[in-house]
Amino acid sequence: MGKLDGKVACITGGTRSIGRAMADAFLAEGGKVVVNGRDEAKGQACLDEMNAGDNAAFFAGDASKQDAVEGLIDFTIERYGQLDICCLNSGGVLNTAPVAQMSDEEWQLEVDWNLNHVFWGMRRALQHMIPRESGRVIVTSSVEGKLGKPGIPGYAATKHAVNGLVKAAAHENGTLGITINAILPGLIETDIVRATGPDSAVAMGLGSYENLIEAFSSESAIKRPNTVEEVAAVAVLLASDAAKNITGCMFPVDGGTMPY
Amino acid sequence: MGVLDGRVACITGGTRGIGLAIAKSFLEEGARVVVNGRDESKAERTLAELGAGDQVAYIPGDVKKREVCEAIVDGTVERFGRIDILVPNAGGSSGNAPVADLTDEAMQDALVWNFWHTFWTMRRAFHYMIPQQWGRVINISSVEGKVGKPGLSIYVVSKHAINGLTKSAAHEVGTLGITVNALCPGAIETDTMMEQGPPAAESMGLSYDGLLDMFAQESAIKRLNDVEDCAAVATLLASDAGAGITGSLISIDGGTAPY
Repeated sequence: MGKLDGKVACITGGTRSIGRAMADAFLAEGGKVVVNGRDEAKGQACLDEMNAGDNAAFFAGDASKQDAVEGLIDFTIERYGQLDICCLNSGGVLNTAPVAQMSDEEWQLEVDWNLNHVFWGMRRALQHMIPRESGRVIVTSSVEGKLGKPGIPGYAATKHAVNGLVKAAAHENGTLGITINAILPGLIETDIVRATGPDSAVAMGLGSYENLIEAFSSESAIKRPNTVEEVAAVAVLLASDAAKNITGCMFPVDGGTMPY
Repeated sequence: MGVLDGRVACITGGTRGIGLAIAKSFLEEGARVVVNGRDESKAERTLAELGAGDQVAYIPGDVKKREVCEAIVDGTVERFGRIDILVPNAGGSSGNAPVADLTDEAMQDALVWNFWHTFWTMRRAFHYMIPQQWGRVINISSVEGKVGKPGLSIYVVSKHAINGLTKSAAHEVGTLGITVNALCPGAIETDTMMEQGPPAAESMGLSYDGLLDMFAQESAIKRLNDVEDCAAVATLLASDAGAGITGSLISIDGGTAPY
């Protein structure tokens, strides 16, 4: 008996890192999972690695695009007949910069990727979950949803905004059997962080990727980055029946970084 | 295979309510558990209900006394050879009143019951956890550790203090394999709530039913929480998967707390 037997989940940015760890954990607990990502080849490799047969599927699409996010929700319902757990996990920055040097294009990308993607996915998922009076929405936010570091203003702003969206939507749907929560991880060395971290470190005035990792780690109590498995364990809890009364929660997985 | 196989836990106020639910969950996940309480007859019923044989033990005592708190921790180690998980769960308040009418005795009693007991047990447990470089302290705070209600200042003050202690201690032991977190539940209709709720409601100018309804209406779910909610989060925090979560004040309140 798994904690998610019979449940169906979809995960944006689910082919690697945090999303992939969630997918693996959900499958291990008996769930069915649709993972999303931009790259078909990575999607197929992910399915091959998960080796979950009919219990896993891939939906290609860019999570910063409305049609892709809504398409993922629709595809999941079409494929498995229902959607119980919607993980809006994708996000990041591409060419971040201090506010004075921030381009409109980067700002728009971060708003679409980190905030609008969550809104589009949550809205579509709720339209399916509300009539069923059952559902879980799990948003991957960040410690930067409560803090704010120089050089990543778009990331901090959009993660703060996501936290507000989670709290408001949780109250809208609190009596309908639907919970809406955010997980706030500290820094994790995901593929995206490894890819964009060196440039972000420069924008943040930290010089190198190693200094970036150290800056985040030193703020925590554990003096190390977090791991994707730590986030996945919390996601399983929030997705399970045991968490039916936990909603509007900003669940920290940050090694003691945030002050509140 | 349970996520707490081989672990030893100590839970104050563990014979009923939140503490009992946590004990059940820990036992199901393979831990050995010491429960503490003041009432021997309640403890006998609890042990019978748990039906866990040698996996569970009872240590009597009133957590308002330092020597008792330390003896509970020491007794856990004597009984099972170690202590991995501490849950200072006992607590409450009596003599609630608006600040203008509050007695010194009521404030002192709530501080000892909630805050000093948490400090005394945590300090003692650290003496075992630090050398073994592994430990989990799961404090039982409250939504009232983040907000404040009129007429409940003694409870609010002592739960806020627990949250501060949690954050400070987490940073002290963060690199030693020890995590320190606090659960912040919303109102739950435990035995303690049923005992202490009516006079607390009176101090707030409410009926008991009015008190419960007030808590429910503040939440998103418009109902009270239950003890199993807390047990599920406690089990996650106690497990290896919780290694990266520390200094956290985790809301289990149906969406009540603003942060």
